[in-house]
Amino acid sequence: MRKWLRRRWRPPRRLSFTREGKILVFLSVGVGFAAINTGNNLLYLLLGWMLSFIIASGVLSEATLRALVVERRPPPKIFASEPFLMEVVIKNGKPKRASYSIEVEDLQAGVPIDKRCYFLKIPEAKSQRTSYRHTFVRRGLYTLTGYRLATKFPFALFRKSRDVDAPLDLLVYPARVAVPRPPPRSATRGDATADRLGRRGEFFGLREHRAGDDRRDVHWKSSARSGRLLVREYEDELARRLVIAVDNALPKEVREALSANAPGENETAPVGPWSNGFGAMTPVLEAQVSAVERAISIAASLANAYLEVGWTVELVARGCHVAGGMGRTHEARIARALAILPYVGDDVAFAPLPKRVESVLVTPRGVPANGRPSAHTVMDA
Amino acid sequence: MRFAVAHKAATYLMVSCAYIAMVGSGGVAGPIALAGLVALIGSWFWEPPLIRYEKWAWMWTTASVFALVYSILTAVVTGDFLGVGAQFLVWLIVAKAYNRRAARDWQQMYLLSFLMLVAGSVLNADLTYGICFLGFVIAATWALTLFHLRREMEDNLLVKHAADRASERVEVRRILDSKRIVGGRFFVGTGLLSLAVFLLSAAAFLALPRVGFGFFLKNRGGLTLTGFSESVKLGGHGVLKSDSTVVMRVELDSAIGSRDAVPLHWRGIAFDRYNRGGWSVTSDAPFTNDTVDYPRAGTERHTLAWMNARPTMPDRIEEVATKQEVWLEPLDSDVMFGASNPRVFEGSQVVRRSPQKAMHNEELRLQHSSTVHYTVYSQIDPPPVAELRAAANELPPALKRSYAVYLQWPEDQITARTVALAAQITAGFTNNYDKAQAISAWLDKNTRYTLELKEPGRQEPIDFFLFDRKEGHCEYYASAFAILARIAGIPTRQVNGFYGGEWNEYQGYVAVRAGDAHSWDEVYFPGKGWVTFDPTPPDRKDPLGRGGSGWRARMGRFMDTLRFQWTKWVIEYDLVAQLQLFRDLGSAIKHGALSLRDLIVKSWWVIAILVAGAVAYAVIRRKRRTDDPLAPARRVRPRARSAVADAYHRVVKQLAKHGITREPGVTPQELAARLATPFAPDVRELTALYYAAEWGGKTDPTAERRAGELATSITAALATR
Repeated sequence: MRKWLRRRWRPPRRLSFTREGKILVFLSVGVGFAAINTGNNLLYLLLGWMLSFIIASGVLSEATLRALVVERRPPPKIFASEPFLMEVVIKNGKPKRASYSIEVEDLQAGVPIDKRCYFLKIPEAKSQRTSYRHTFVRRGLYTLTGYRLATKFPFALFRKSRDVDAPLDLLVYPARVAVPRPPPRSATRGDATADRLGRRGEFFGLREHRAGDDRRDVHWKSSARSGRLLVREYEDELARRLVIAVDNALPKEVREALSANAPGENETAPVGPWSNGFGAMTPVLEAQVSAVERAISIAASLANAYLEVGWTVELVARGCHVAGGMGRTHEARIARALAILPYVGDDVAFAPLPKRVESVLVTPRGVPANGRPSAHTVMDA
Repeated sequence: MRFAVAHKAATYLMVSCAYIAMVGSGGVAGPIALAGLVALIGSWFWEPPLIRYEKWAWMWTTASVFALVYSILTAVVTGDFLGVGAQFLVWLIVAKAYNRRAARDWQQMYLLSFLMLVAGSVLNADLTYGICFLGFVIAATWALTLFHLRREMEDNLLVKHAADRASERVEVRRILDSKRIVGGRFFVGTGLLSLAVFLLSAAAFLALPRVGFGFFLKNRGGLTLTGFSESVKLGGHGVLKSDSTVVMRVELDSAIGSRDAVPLHWRGIAFDRYNRGGWSVTSDAPFTNDTVDYPRAGTERHTLAWMNARPTMPDRIEEVATKQEVWLEPLDSDVMFGASNPRVFEGSQVVRRSPQKAMHNEELRLQHSSTVHYTVYSQIDPPPVAELRAAANELPPALKRSYAVYLQWPEDQITARTVALAAQITAGFTNNYDKAQAISAWLDKNTRYTLELKEPGRQEPIDFFLFDRKEGHCEYYASAFAILARIAGIPTRQVNGFYGGEWNEYQGYVAVRAGDAHSWDEVYFPGKGWVTFDPTPPDRKDPLGRGGSGWRARMGRFMDTLRFQWTKWVIEYDLVAQLQLFRDLGSAIKHGALSLRDLIVKSWWVIAILVAGAVAYAVIRRKRRTDDPLAPARRVRPRARSAVADAYHRVVKQLAKHGITREPGVTPQELAARLATPFAPDVRELTALYYAAEWGGKTDPTAERRAGELATSITAALATR
């Protein structure tokens, strides 16, 4: 209700005085007082000018803020603890008038983030582009609720601003760390196949063509025979497959401490690093959270390293499973899953690890948890 | 224009407007004002790379300390804090103009200009202030806008980001030298804006309530004009100069005000005693019978009861008398002027010092040290000649004592031949009117008007004028008339004031100049009152006339109109004028509305055609825009949500509250499939309905009802969880 009211009644413009504005108002009061006291008409004239000046300032700043549209273009990937450039494009929709001296700030939960972009002049019906450098310390899903357009134009007496709702979700991937790629063990190497589909491998069967299938896979002979387009399907090679397991369990007291710090509304929401900070936590508990974060970072970096060299990677965590896959899109899929991986209790079980596939378990150092699966390699983060 | 140059030029324009507004009418000593101006011009070039500010800083600091000490001492000694303060402002602005280092210095220059404008409002009430103020308003808009842009540039544009390079600093110098930031359009646009600001200021000026104390603090010894004298002394030598400085402007009816109308006598002061070639007001003279009342808020009314004249009825004065609006410049004297004979004076009710002199002989004095505005009602037409002829020759018994002063003449000084002349001229006439006319006629016939003065030496001046020189100016004529009439037993007094004036065709007023100063006489007729007699030959008594008709004279009159409007609407605008303005505005609006109504009633078909045309135009325009493939698309209206969708969104919100959130990438169906709660089948069914309603376009009352039921049950299930 309060939120609704706030949204409903939020004034369309915000006005704050600058130092110069305060001086002008102070002088106006002084001149007004002097005018009334002395009856000197020229002081009245001066007072009239000062008041009109303030009005003109308001009108001009309104005109300069009008018909501006901001578009924010985040980079395709954002990693925690790494600076990224957010491109800000501002378009002046006014056909006849230029806009001067515009500041653009991104809002996160209605509060401006620490960076702002300044545009000296946006010519009529043109757009201008700039970018700001920003860093998210932790992974997660961040929502920029909108942006704030502000100007001190024309006389720097007031700073007028207008908040525009334009939600933009930014997914911040876990921080990249350098990890050694554990050498694959020979026992699981190469020759066995699985009953899974892959891009190129042993012939598996034919099926009807679906939109998006590679035309090179069309089996022309069979298609000609049956009168329908048929494509080949292949078996995936089990070789170069890896399962990465990461333990995202945290003891109950740590999760409670985290959710106590989280903004109140939904107590049962999954607790993650985006839950706003480690404010009132003891160093011991904080160390545990950091360890889990480190484990997640390592898992993400490891997945990346293997995918780079063409492996099929599968991700397993408590309450989360990303099936094996290859290539760029799969890389994004895993990064995304890890970016929003919540902290859970150790009562949540891991998805079962396939036995015959090479597996790596990343465990956070110093975080006790039950039910960790056995893996070929265990990395203690 | 380069940005930095544009900014500097606008700032200098603003400073010089404020500077001239302050020093414009001599509030600051001429040499200092001139030196300041020259120094300001020089400071334009005083900047890097020519000069290094640091090198000269010590000099400016020392000089400023010296100027401060000097100013404080001078102010304490002379007591003229305002004048000294203005001088110190001149120093400060010059010092700042030579030290324009950072944004703060520019800012201080703006503040100083403003202070100069404030000082000018007290020191300079001339039209120059108005012109400078207009310039200031325009220049300030430019200067402050450009200053703001400049500072924002310096603050914000230092760092530039490139996609895959480290951030780099941008050279501010390069932007300051850019010619693309502000151009002609910018200046024209902001110039127009500042004109709007000026008009708005004017409106605010007129509308701000004048509830102050009026003249209360206005008595700073202002600049006063000479040209009117409170005494008359015959004699002296030289040539009377005609001074065309305007001392008084009078708006009056065009019936008596036009270029061809008869000139009026602007009566000021009347003298009763002649002694040793001079006229004066004695304490024996009857006091002015002045009644003060307050007919309207803020208005003070003085009604002069002229002895034995037709009765003055102040409330009906407009019907019986001629109205004049007078703007009187500050003179050496505090006498009020009005067309002869003035009966009622109305002015703003203000706190005034009481007159320094007691008022005699139907004169009115009001202390004022700046231009004063008042309204006078005068009875201009004298009583009919027949009535004057029929009036008694002797003073009525009640006035015998008090009016004896108007029959005084120094018997020891006036020569016998003058007395004999009076008897000779008036012989054979039975009434005072004819006698007075005869004296006037004799003077006209036997003497000549001249502006050349000649010293009479030890000779009695009137005797010298009448018998030896036989030439003289108005004071000789008036004095000779008065003395001759008094010798003949006619109660007479000499009057000083102005005569005529230049008719200003642009605004319809009479501008009375210092050179229009004049002397004449008033003769008392029992039962009829005082009647104006002007013995000076009619063709010579108005040397300045009604003004020339050449282009220079016209130009001068036009400039005077501007000055008059400035005085009238700015300097002397007060509560009375404000109330009157509001009243006029109110009636104008009312009148406008009425005539609009009449217009609509009378020619409704014209209006109907116009309206129909406008509608047709709008329709065609709209159609053309929709037909135009390149026209910007109209905004798509959001669809109305169905009841099913509402129910669904309600459930989604509830789910989110209980920790089951739908991430942006998850479709409703995926969410429903993922659920593993007892109410999951309900959610799936609701989702199916939602799909059908929202995306299938199906509106179905049964589905809506069902959706509502499902939502209620799911919410209930969630609550028990």
